[in-house]
Amino acid sequence: MTGTTGGPRLPGTTLLKIARLLLNEHLLSTVVQPTISDLQREIADAGPSGRKRLRARWRGYCAFWTMMLVAPFASSSPAEDVGAVAFPDAVARLAVGSILVSTLAVAGPMLGAWVAVIAAVGTLFAILIHAWYARHPSDLPVPTEPQRRFPQINFSSTEVAGNIGGLIFVVGSVFIVATGLPSVILFLFAATVTGCALAWALVTWHTSHPKRGLPENQIVFR
Amino acid sequence: MTHQGVVALPRKERLILELLASDGPMYGLQLVDRSDGALKRGTVYVTLGRMEAKGLVESEQEPAPPGGIGLPRRIYRPTALGQRMLRALTAFARELAWEVKP
Repeated sequence: MTGTTGGPRLPGTTLLKIARLLLNEHLLSTVVQPTISDLQREIADAGPSGRKRLRARWRGYCAFWTMMLVAPFASSSPAEDVGAVAFPDAVARLAVGSILVSTLAVAGPMLGAWVAVIAAVGTLFAILIHAWYARHPSDLPVPTEPQRRFPQINFSSTEVAGNIGGLIFVVGSVFIVATGLPSVILFLFAATVTGCALAWALVTWHTSHPKRGLPENQIVFR
Repeated sequence: MTHQGVVALPRKERLILELLASDGPMYGLQLVDRSDGALKRGTVYVTLGRMEAKGLVESEQEPAPPGGIGLPRRIYRPTALGQRMLRALTAFARELAWEVKP
């Protein structure tokens, strides 16, 4: 169907693979495949002229990427009734996209191109992971009863005290932030020095006032 | 979009319905070519998909010609509901035009 039977590679084959990663079957059959079909037919109709074929490719690729920007906002299932809003979650996606673009627009010039590149790569990676997980959902059984606990990243109930675990946590956090935001290394250095000084002061104070210490941290099951 | 039972038809959807009703079944690129720039090839299938979800148009894949290569095209035609809506909106617009004429 896509010309993968040993013949020459048809234009749009790679585009179709990219779209398969990101969009669902409904959008693929109703939006993506017709767009790529038009691209293939237009290139075929352009004949042997290299200039016409290049023009057809350019128009087709522009159409494909425009469609890829617009299509995720389309509904994945037909609307219930005539005139119903066909984009039920478009507002949420648009909001997230707007926040991301706004953050990049503000943070990019302030923090440099490196931050923008990291953010863009991270966003792309998150989209790919999401698309992969949507196509290959977990085999874990879905609980029948409503969950009272929700998965979250929460260090508040984990003991990160003055042991090797705490040191690894602190050094790892500083390393991650310093790698992602090299422009804040001086701030991290100052914060580390200040934190060490504060820790030394606390240790000294607790040593001289042994009965006034805070209760020991405990791992709390929530 | 519905608002208190009133069904509105966006301009591009109405144009597509008019083209399909006057020129017969077409695929997306033909609609773009005949719209004089009003429809864009990057969004025409998204619009058509939305209209199909609303029940205004229906589509089917073009049968692949013998020895043909590439993906099959998708041909669109107006549904009975789409044709009725187009007639109703045209009559409504004509009525309004008659009302506002001096």
